[in-house]
Amino acid sequence: MVKFLSEEWIEKGRTYMLEKLDPEKDMKNITTSVQGIIEHVPPNDTTMNFYIELKDGRLNEFKVNTGDIFEGKEAIYEIRGNYGTYKDILEGKIGTAMALLKNRLKLKGSKMEALKIIKQLDSLIESLRKITDEFEE
Amino acid sequence: MKSANTVVLEKKSLDDAVAIAKKGTHCGMCRIDFLGTGLCPSGKKHGYLAYWPQGRMELVKHLKEGKIKPTEKLVDIANSCTLCGICDKQCNFATQLRPEKVAKALKEYVNSLDKSEFQKVPEDDIVKGLREIVGNEWATNDPIIIASYVRSIIPTNVELNFYVVMPDTTEQVSKIIKFANKHNIPFLPRGGGTALSIATPTVLSNAITLEHGIVIDLLRLKKLEIHPENSTAVVGAGITAFEVQKAAYKHKLRVNVAEAGAHYCSNIATTGIVTTWGNKYGCFADNFIDLTIVDNDGNIKNHRDMDIPNPYATENVFSNISLSPSYIITEVTAKLFPVFDDEEAVLVPFDNLEDALDMVLKLGKRGVGLSVAVLSYKYLAEFICPTPKIAEDFEDICKNYMKLRYVVDVICDKDDKKIVEGMAEYTIDQNFMRTLILGSPKLASLKDSEFMKILSEEEDPLRAIFAGPMRKHFEKGLDASPEQMSKVYDTDLQDFFKKVYSKPEMTDVVWLHAFRILPSRLMRQQMTMGPGGAVWAGDKKHILKWVNMFAEVGDKYNLEHALGFISPLDNGKFIYIEYDYFYNHNDPDVANRISKALLETTEKSLVLGQIFTLINYLFKGIHRKEHVLYPLREGLTKEEQTMFREVLHSVLGEFEEW
Repeated sequence: MVKFLSEEWIEKGRTYMLEKLDPEKDMKNITTSVQGIIEHVPPNDTTMNFYIELKDGRLNEFKVNTGDIFEGKEAIYEIRGNYGTYKDILEGKIGTAMALLKNRLKLKGSKMEALKIIKQLDSLIESLRKITDEFEE
Repeated sequence: MKSANTVVLEKKSLDDAVAIAKKGTHCGMCRIDFLGTGLCPSGKKHGYLAYWPQGRMELVKHLKEGKIKPTEKLVDIANSCTLCGICDKQCNFATQLRPEKVAKALKEYVNSLDKSEFQKVPEDDIVKGLREIVGNEWATNDPIIIASYVRSIIPTNVELNFYVVMPDTTEQVSKIIKFANKHNIPFLPRGGGTALSIATPTVLSNAITLEHGIVIDLLRLKKLEIHPENSTAVVGAGITAFEVQKAAYKHKLRVNVAEAGAHYCSNIATTGIVTTWGNKYGCFADNFIDLTIVDNDGNIKNHRDMDIPNPYATENVFSNISLSPSYIITEVTAKLFPVFDDEEAVLVPFDNLEDALDMVLKLGKRGVGLSVAVLSYKYLAEFICPTPKIAEDFEDICKNYMKLRYVVDVICDKDDKKIVEGMAEYTIDQNFMRTLILGSPKLASLKDSEFMKILSEEEDPLRAIFAGPMRKHFEKGLDASPEQMSKVYDTDLQDFFKKVYSKPEMTDVVWLHAFRILPSRLMRQQMTMGPGGAVWAGDKKHILKWVNMFAEVGDKYNLEHALGFISPLDNGKFIYIEYDYFYNHNDPDVANRISKALLETTEKSLVLGQIFTLINYLFKGIHRKEHVLYPLREGLTKEEQTMFREVLHSVLGEFEEW
């Protein structure tokens, strides 16, 4: 069982992305960074965030932190939503683009540029979906 | 005896009820008192959709299909109906349906049930928390009530894992949102629900409905104050367009509103106000002095606050993909406009769009008229004809015999009327419109008649009817009277409709434009999907190309289609176009074709450029026209078009491209 936002989740996520995502084929050699901010994390209604950095399509950094800023890191895109939304996404109940469409996720950064890499962002989320199977209730 | 848990319904009356219910479209006309009958007593008292005729109609479908099991609440809902018949009168006017038969069938069905087998609905922590905010009566997790919201905010393909809550203050809305966020439960507000019901059978469904969570029904936010001293109205989110207009008219004032059943605030949160009155009264955010909103974190804000980011600006590009409002409007202070004693309707008939468009562009730029629009024969027929069949025949006569394919429809004062008359060879005035409304059944009956054949052979049938010697005979021959009109209704309703059509306002074109009770007829027993948007008025070829694109896509997907309306905005600098596709909401095949047409016309509109499309403003919130129309965007590049398709794939998965 790998719990969302746990140490094990970071480790498994990192391994999965490095092993399974082809920098050229899956990730189109993109260099970008995304900070996912998760609000209302149970049980104490806290805020957490994860930071993913890709360099030439290869995972460079994947970290989790508390709060809504990541010290020393400024991501190109910030995707903010509550824990329930991230849970729905990682359980495959709703796609990332659909969550944006439904205003459940809010995107900071150039939307036009984000849409250019939407397939690659989908691949990242899909990786996390594959390794996550436990959530706080 | 059959188990209540299996809920297989065999009564013929319920089968008949389901047949009626399936034709319902959640037009919402049973929730406004537009005929002077009073409101459904059950719905007025209990509020939840299940207690209104439209909700009961939804409910019986679910019972019949075995999708929900009876609970105690079902007995209450069935018994709360007094069979007063108000709904039959209202619904018959708008849609030709008889919802009271549904209510009767539901009563019979409930009486046949073994109450010991009713499903128990325990109060869970979420409903308990919601009840602490709004009171015990106004929050529920009862599947019987929840089922009534399917197709107008809840999609058809999900488990009924929902709550419904009905706040009556902004503070309660705020608390509900904070509570929902704390418990990580999605939420969505519901006003009249019409826009949601139009979209639910289509590809838009997943994007704009709630797949699970809390439905915040805004009906109880009933604040309504008219301030004639400064020509403003304070309107709560539960107030319909009809209600605010009625209140304003008492002071000889008018508000710029959407369709009669639309909730005034909720509508502006989702689609903005764009009407045929827009050139004079303004569009988008123009009509709103202040708004009280609750954001997605539950914070209450007012647009008058000095320290909030500019609430009127948005990105007017396709990458602004959100299709859900980012806040709930709970109250608005709106501008009111004077009603003049010499207001009149004048309509100019045309056999082609280009000439009609020319006239509307000129009127728009000169600022003539209060309400100005080109309407197609389809709009005209659906609006004024009492039944779908009469509308169909009327439409045929307009299109093929009279060559009345478009009208320029102007509400104006006497001075402006002279200007319009000076620009036209002949016009249709208020008296003639009264004749057409009350004589529509007779006119429809003339389809394929010798008279119509002779008329169609005239060089200019419009001139012959409206300016020639035939006019008098035509007016006389239509036998236009409330009595004749009433004969098209069921026998037991004829006396009632004779009285209804005897009321001056029911044939007063100015009143009908202001109160907008007729557009619901576009949704009688079928759905209307009306894509469109705003376009620069300076390039007529571009406008016509855009309209033709909608027609070509309609033909491609074998859809019934017609221009809805074209109206000038912002002193004639822009025009707004609605193009309508009509479809049977119970037919998945046609809904699928509607979806394709919607995607294709959206992409083609974006590629054409210089167009502010539905996707640019649908459910985006309140924005100033200055922010969203200046400048209109150039057409998509090839690269952007590819991105647009990729977004669609991300959202929809695999779909058949065009």
